[in-house]
Amino acid sequence: MNAALRISHVGLRGIVGQGLTATHVMDFAAAFGTFLEPGRPVVLGRDPRLSGNMIREGVVASLLACGHDVIDLGIVSTPVVQHAIQRLDAAGGIAISASHNTIDWNALRFFGPSGIYLNTAESGELLDIYHLHRFRFEEWNRLGKLTVSGTAIDAYLDGLARVFDLERLRPLRVVVDCCNGTSALILRRMNERFGCGFILINERVDGRTVAHTPNTSASIAELQLGPLMQPLQADAGFLFDMDADRVALADEQGRGVSEELVLPMLADHLLPKSEGKLIIANLSSTALLEDVAARHGGRVLRVPVGRQAAIDALSTYRPEQIALAGEGTGAVMMPQFRFVYDGIASMLAILTMIRDRGQTVSQILADYPSHHILKAEVPLTSPNIPALLMELQELFPDGIMDRSDGLRISWPDRWFHVRVSQTEPIIRVIAEQRDSEPRELFETLLDRVRSLN
Amino acid sequence: MAREHLLKVGVSGVRGVIGGFLTPGLGASFAQAFGTYVGKGRVVIGRDTRTSGPMLTHAVNCGLLAAGCEVIDLGVMPTPTIQMYISHVKARGGIALTASHNPPEYNALKLFNREGLFFNQYERSELLDLFHQSQFAQARNDEIRSVKQDLTTAPALHIDRVLRHVDADAIRRRRFRVALDGVNGAGSEMSVHFLGTVLQTQLDAISVDPTRVFPRIAEPRPDTLTELAALVRRAGADVGFGQDPDGDRLAVCDETGQVLDNDDVLALAVKRALTHTPGDVVVNLTTSATIDDIAAQHGRKVYRTPVGEANVVEMMQAVKAAIGGEGSSGGIIYPAVHLCRDSYTAMALLLDLMAETGKTVSELVAGLPRYSRLSGKVPFEHGRLGTLMQGLEESFPDAQTNRMDGLKLLWEGRWLHVRSSNTEPLLRLAVEARTAEQAQALFDDAWRRLTS
Repeated sequence: MNAALRISHVGLRGIVGQGLTATHVMDFAAAFGTFLEPGRPVVLGRDPRLSGNMIREGVVASLLACGHDVIDLGIVSTPVVQHAIQRLDAAGGIAISASHNTIDWNALRFFGPSGIYLNTAESGELLDIYHLHRFRFEEWNRLGKLTVSGTAIDAYLDGLARVFDLERLRPLRVVVDCCNGTSALILRRMNERFGCGFILINERVDGRTVAHTPNTSASIAELQLGPLMQPLQADAGFLFDMDADRVALADEQGRGVSEELVLPMLADHLLPKSEGKLIIANLSSTALLEDVAARHGGRVLRVPVGRQAAIDALSTYRPEQIALAGEGTGAVMMPQFRFVYDGIASMLAILTMIRDRGQTVSQILADYPSHHILKAEVPLTSPNIPALLMELQELFPDGIMDRSDGLRISWPDRWFHVRVSQTEPIIRVIAEQRDSEPRELFETLLDRVRSLN
Repeated sequence: MAREHLLKVGVSGVRGVIGGFLTPGLGASFAQAFGTYVGKGRVVIGRDTRTSGPMLTHAVNCGLLAAGCEVIDLGVMPTPTIQMYISHVKARGGIALTASHNPPEYNALKLFNREGLFFNQYERSELLDLFHQSQFAQARNDEIRSVKQDLTTAPALHIDRVLRHVDADAIRRRRFRVALDGVNGAGSEMSVHFLGTVLQTQLDAISVDPTRVFPRIAEPRPDTLTELAALVRRAGADVGFGQDPDGDRLAVCDETGQVLDNDDVLALAVKRALTHTPGDVVVNLTTSATIDDIAAQHGRKVYRTPVGEANVVEMMQAVKAAIGGEGSSGGIIYPAVHLCRDSYTAMALLLDLMAETGKTVSELVAGLPRYSRLSGKVPFEHGRLGTLMQGLEESFPDAQTNRMDGLKLLWEGRWLHVRSSNTEPLLRLAVEARTAEQAQALFDDAWRRLTS
């Protein structure tokens, strides 16, 4: 398996020069140009990776050749691209970003009108056009035109300022690890315009160097932000990936907060204010969500892991029915933000929560029942996964079963999820239990998976 | 039925119709092959004013960056200006996005080496193989460079080089009245600056808006320059200049509104060059014998090459020629300025000759050896080309033959040349003789034999 290139429903991604080439980029962008309805412009943005220079040129060429006008926002976060698509009433857009992958990766992410990720039917059509290789190139006098816009971040900040009272957040002392990504550009501008006092680290944006893996996890948050929190007397610390669609958190004492907790915290904050009571989350995220939902009369809809399933689920409800959607990676969508995974908006919501409650991060978390989660990865060797899942299912006949993505069985105080990764040749095993570690359940699962796999 | 070749991928690069033929992906792949061939380093690009220019620029940028090159984009710029800039900034090479005199739906990649010259035939075939093998250099994230723009340096550099080889003050003193048709091409603004401001002529210019489409057939020829001829008469101009979209070719109109034969323009430039510059002359097989007569007057040799600028340039480099060109297509190559076809050098040499001799353009032409020329196109069916050529050769056993590019038959004082087009199943027939009657007779004879 060549892990350096992946073409799937979530788009195109790979290691530039090793798997992902100019040809892939141009063909995929031409497929998207063919897929989109003509007539309205297409919005483009990229994260600071140097390979974005090359990919941007190819994407622009293919879109112009398909007759689309292109509005290039330059180096911006993925949520800014999505915001601009809606603001400019564009036909769609492309974000050039490998987000939380390492610096040598890059990717194309495709959005339809109003800035929403393509659903499975749409991305299937895009893939078919890509594979058919039959692109709608326009004639010489019907080609598109390129406009470069440098104001997208400001327009995005205007949008945030309409939802959040930014001045009210000023008294908070906040440290942010930008991981040398686009969040640095946004937060610097927010400091300038709104007098916020975000203290930024790893804020150099040169597309070549990153201070650490751009992943949003509790352990990196603790490592990077932990030592700074008490000396700076900070109220909260945040960690972003390269394109600022995910966020991780450190509390005021310098402890990394599990990425699993971002979604329940936001649910706790938003459910009381929200007309919609539905939370869309995947099968692998914490059961704390159900506890929080129960407090506020909310309901949790569990969907398969991956962005695609969440997007598909979203499109089957009316926006006003939904309070929140997300996953246990720190990627959260809120209806006020058009269901865009937006790390900056998530951060502002958490800061607002801190102000509203007058509590520290650790005090807020102390109020939740404790859930203990154990996770492991087992190399995938056997093709006979269905037999393995059947065996496990028979082993635990008393729980509530969900087979929509691998196998998840839940009981009132615990659950487990065994599934095959979509991105790597591994089996993921996760077990969670209230009040204490589900060590015995977890060992049994691992035993079975290893012996049957 | 003659079918046009809507896409041509060959040793000269890529040329094709925008839309389904010359696609952005093809442009990027060819550029990546080019970047692989010249190596990581600076590559210069520029384009003419075609509507597909920006799209193709981005495609080529993509391919070059993917190969690890740094791109310097000159924007809309004449091809000769791009070529001079390449050597000036010591780039690895350059690409001009222009289909030169072809219609607006075409575009092409013209490729240049680090000296801003065409690659020789061996290099060109090596590059083409590399393209087909698709084994391109693939830069990793930390090796990927950026696109930088330089819109101002190149024109000044070009004009400065041209001025070093003419008596600019003598030209300025004459305050010539000049008419210009810039075909809304890449040279539009630079030509107005060069003729009006630098050489201080009294300029009447049409079609010098680079944001608009070509207002006439792009190739500058007597039948496409009727507007220029009318302008010359209306304005009482001393001379009229007609450019092509990328500013390498030039056609000239005399003070009476008569558009000159391009062979005569070359002859005047050769005459001017040989009085100031040592070295021989290189022209293609279809160029007039006028050149041989002028060279003989100066005791210089004439070398003949197959048709195509790259062929002429390659020979010029080998023999260190004083001047060269391709008569019928309106191209003058003066290596003292740069070894490339350049309409600015041609304009300057002609104005210099007018200033130096005090003669009008028509008087200068009248002083050239006289020949009559005729040309035409004959469609043929694929598979019949060899038989046609052989038949023609056998019909004229008394002629001296040259098979370097198609078939050229020579007699004392007259010749005929037949070659197949690179882009269509057409034979191009050209004849020349001392008198119009002789030329017509030879043309009719050959035409009959090719079409019967």
